[in-house]
Amino acid sequence: MSYPATTWRGLSVLATLALLGAAHAEPPQKKPFDRKAPVRTAAAPAPVPRASLLKSDAWKNVPLTPAQPGEIDALVLKELKATGVTPAARTTDEQFVRRVTLDLTGELPVPADVAEFVADKNPDKRAKLIDKLLASDEYARHWARYWRDVIATKLSDRRGMALAHSFEVWMTEQLKKNKSWGEIARAMLTASGTGSYEDDGKNGALFFLLSRVGTDAANERAAETSRVFLGIQIQCAQCHDHPSDVWKRPQFHELAGYFARLRERPVRDGQRLVGYQLVSLPRGEHQMPSKDDPKRGSVINPRFLDGTAPRPGLDDVERRKSLADAVVAKGNYWFSGAYVNRVWGELMGQSFTAPVDDMGPQKEVVFPEVLTRLAASFRATDYDVKALFRAVLNSETYQRQIRLGESTDEHLHFAAAYPSRLRADALWDSLVGVLGALSRPGEADRVGPGPLGMRRFGLEGAFKEEFRFDPSLKADEVEDSIPQALILMNNPQIQQKIRASGDNLLGRIMKSYPKDDDALRMIYLRTLARKPTDREMQKCRAYVTSAGGRAEAFEDILWALINSTEFQTKR
Amino acid sequence: MPLQPLMHVQTSAVGVVSRRGFLRTIAAGAGAGLLGWKDAVTLHADELRRQGMACILLFMRGGPSQFETFDPKPGVANGGPTKAIPTAASGVHVAEGWEKTAQAMKDIALIRSMTSKEGEHQRAVYQMHTGYVPLASLKYPSLGAVVASELAPKEFDLPHFVSVGGARANTVGSGFLGMQYAPFVVGNPQQMPTNVELPGGVAGGRFQRRLGLLEDLEQDFADAGGKPRVEEHKAVYESAAQMILSPRLKAFDVSQEKDAVRDRYGRTPFGQGCLLARRLVEAGVTFVEVESNGWDTHLDNFTRVKSLAEGVDPGFAALVGDLRERGMLDRTLVVWMGEFGRTPRVNANTGRDHYPRAFNVALAGAGVKGGRVVGATGADGADVKERPVTVADLFCTFCQALKINPRKENIGTLNRPIKIVDGGQSVKELFA
Repeated sequence: MSYPATTWRGLSVLATLALLGAAHAEPPQKKPFDRKAPVRTAAAPAPVPRASLLKSDAWKNVPLTPAQPGEIDALVLKELKATGVTPAARTTDEQFVRRVTLDLTGELPVPADVAEFVADKNPDKRAKLIDKLLASDEYARHWARYWRDVIATKLSDRRGMALAHSFEVWMTEQLKKNKSWGEIARAMLTASGTGSYEDDGKNGALFFLLSRVGTDAANERAAETSRVFLGIQIQCAQCHDHPSDVWKRPQFHELAGYFARLRERPVRDGQRLVGYQLVSLPRGEHQMPSKDDPKRGSVINPRFLDGTAPRPGLDDVERRKSLADAVVAKGNYWFSGAYVNRVWGELMGQSFTAPVDDMGPQKEVVFPEVLTRLAASFRATDYDVKALFRAVLNSETYQRQIRLGESTDEHLHFAAAYPSRLRADALWDSLVGVLGALSRPGEADRVGPGPLGMRRFGLEGAFKEEFRFDPSLKADEVEDSIPQALILMNNPQIQQKIRASGDNLLGRIMKSYPKDDDALRMIYLRTLARKPTDREMQKCRAYVTSAGGRAEAFEDILWALINSTEFQTKR
Repeated sequence: MPLQPLMHVQTSAVGVVSRRGFLRTIAAGAGAGLLGWKDAVTLHADELRRQGMACILLFMRGGPSQFETFDPKPGVANGGPTKAIPTAASGVHVAEGWEKTAQAMKDIALIRSMTSKEGEHQRAVYQMHTGYVPLASLKYPSLGAVVASELAPKEFDLPHFVSVGGARANTVGSGFLGMQYAPFVVGNPQQMPTNVELPGGVAGGRFQRRLGLLEDLEQDFADAGGKPRVEEHKAVYESAAQMILSPRLKAFDVSQEKDAVRDRYGRTPFGQGCLLARRLVEAGVTFVEVESNGWDTHLDNFTRVKSLAEGVDPGFAALVGDLRERGMLDRTLVVWMGEFGRTPRVNANTGRDHYPRAFNVALAGAGVKGGRVVGATGADGADVKERPVTVADLFCTFCQALKINPRKENIGTLNRPIKIVDGGQSVKELFA
């Protein structure tokens, strides 16, 4: 892994080494977690969900101004008070730096980052760190991958993956330039032309539409447009009026009408599929199949969910431009609401609605005033992506410690952060950050067309395939699997790097830190970005004494930490 | 003391240590090797599974030509040069190249009137695995996951659903049924699965020590608010550790079979995959899929199918015969199919193209009466002439054989109730 010039990690190797010493010189912290901070008051055994349906008035009666510092916190606290829930304590600096670094870059902070941040006496240091991370290339890459996964992990047809890599590159560029979410959505909805595996982002915006190919593509594109950009699951209405929401069957097909003139053409190099061309037909309209006889259908003209329709006589691209206008219009609250719900959910671990991409309108929303205020702020800033990150990340609400309820599916009402699983890319990058490059020579980061779409080769490809999950799932629905455990437990390439030899992490640590306690602290800082607790120190010391030799004991400790729940959890 | 739980294993109907405390138990020094392979298999596999049923799916990826498999049309233009051969079932003919399967035909039934609308590989593979056409926002579970969720024992130390020979990325997964029923993918049946073998220097007590240490070091994070997550993580690690240490893991090792048995299945990846499927079902696995790739014969159909059949014919026939000899066929459904058939017309490249309108499927075991033929295509093979069978009908048939209620509803994404099979009727004449 290489860090480009604009990386947020400005420290030289020497400075890093100096800070490593500083980190180790600090007295060990007794409580990296605040164990006692109660979530609930004693009088309230279980919080009553403060959730309600969102009427369109709720979206409208909010000031259309950027949220001021403290405003979101005040709204959250007001709701918490009414619910009888006590918020968790503020994160320690050590906790904060790990969480915000993982949230914004998908990478673990190295011990030097932690030490430097903890040592910093500047009262604004959290805001400064947020700005530094938002300016990094890793931020853009991490969130580009998030959106790639939002689109890709629902695919049951692997051909749709053909442009996934191209999208990742393209989206990274958009985020790096802080293009507004409106512009980004517009580019995806109005894309046309040819995209291929090799084009490296030139036409990556095509991925959104071309992730759905084949005979049912118009319907699937409509369903995805609604789900991804509006947080509305309208696809049930493809076959019948939505059973639990307001959507009628013709509304679904009217949305699909915008995509009626799109066709895709495979681009081949010999026999090999290398990409797709999105082709506009000059005419033709969507058919809504008759419920009685699916072979018959009625012609449906495009119309957006709010009832607006494109002028007659427009061609395909113009019609899709009018769709994009309707989607990103300031009067369309769903567009800002869906984005805010996603980003908030990703950062807090829980979103305002569950799942994040099913907002209703006949759905219960937790703390609707917070959602509508943030959404209004997002509209007021012209969908400024980084401004929204700043508003959330600088809040006390974001900066609270983790908590889980009695069971993992309990909603915490944002009284605490919910510990969620690292996505595959972040976990891989964390692992590589700790152990060093894991790929065999020649396979590092090699991507190329597989039989059906992009694939990565070697361990990285296998690892990411196994650890991939749908980021639209509720955090408590993300499951561990046996093959995942097997990779981390036994994979020979990973095991090789765990060994306490030569240039490996442990080899270096054991050489530089002859005292066991110092070495143990370094291992914890590297893997979990925190110092061990007293109890953990005792356990580890006892283990070193009892196991078959110092090197073996340290290998086992490193193995255990990499296999721990905490290593793969954002906390 | 450490031996106690393992003694319990030998007599337990489910054959495994209960999950709770497993890491602790094996960390205390008990574990691998104490319980022999023989002991494990004496726990009858069919007692482990509910109703004792299992299923093996032989999937011909690419879409096998019905003309060159089990619905030959010699003597008409569409039939090409392919000859028909008689089988052990009187009056039933199949294409040449399937001589061994032909000899097993008394145990195999054919449906020659399959029909569907999906002519694209991905959509059709998905439909033939789930019974549903793809939907943008709902991932249906594949047959293997459904069967595992219905029939697999709760406590079992190998995966319930094993997929052999395919690529992880192309495998239709467990969809909304979750990871518990996800396919465990074995790329090469002649090697142990990846990452199940303990790394050098970690075998024996050290692995157990590591697991104990892991549990110890999880404590503070659990206390700090991560407890439910730590518990879930632990449960999966326990399952993985159980699998690694299970004497049943040897079921994955086909080299334990005698040469004669391995030869009978054919020394091809597919043949050895069939042998692996038999070993896994014998050990208690509920569903095994074995994939044969390369059936998309747009070019040079006749030569290519001939060589593909050389790999599949011995494996299919040996599997059915071996299951019969071991008394397992009555409780094991074997399905041979691909995602669609191929065009009656032979194209300019001596190939055949995609054709979902009429294709064939072969079934054996689990109450299916062998030697039967259901449905027929017309003389030129272009259309189903008798008794069309849809994908939903076929899935209802699987359910009948495996004693699963096809109308049972699972809860899918967004709390939607999803029937195991929506519509369709079982092909009852296969069983009567």
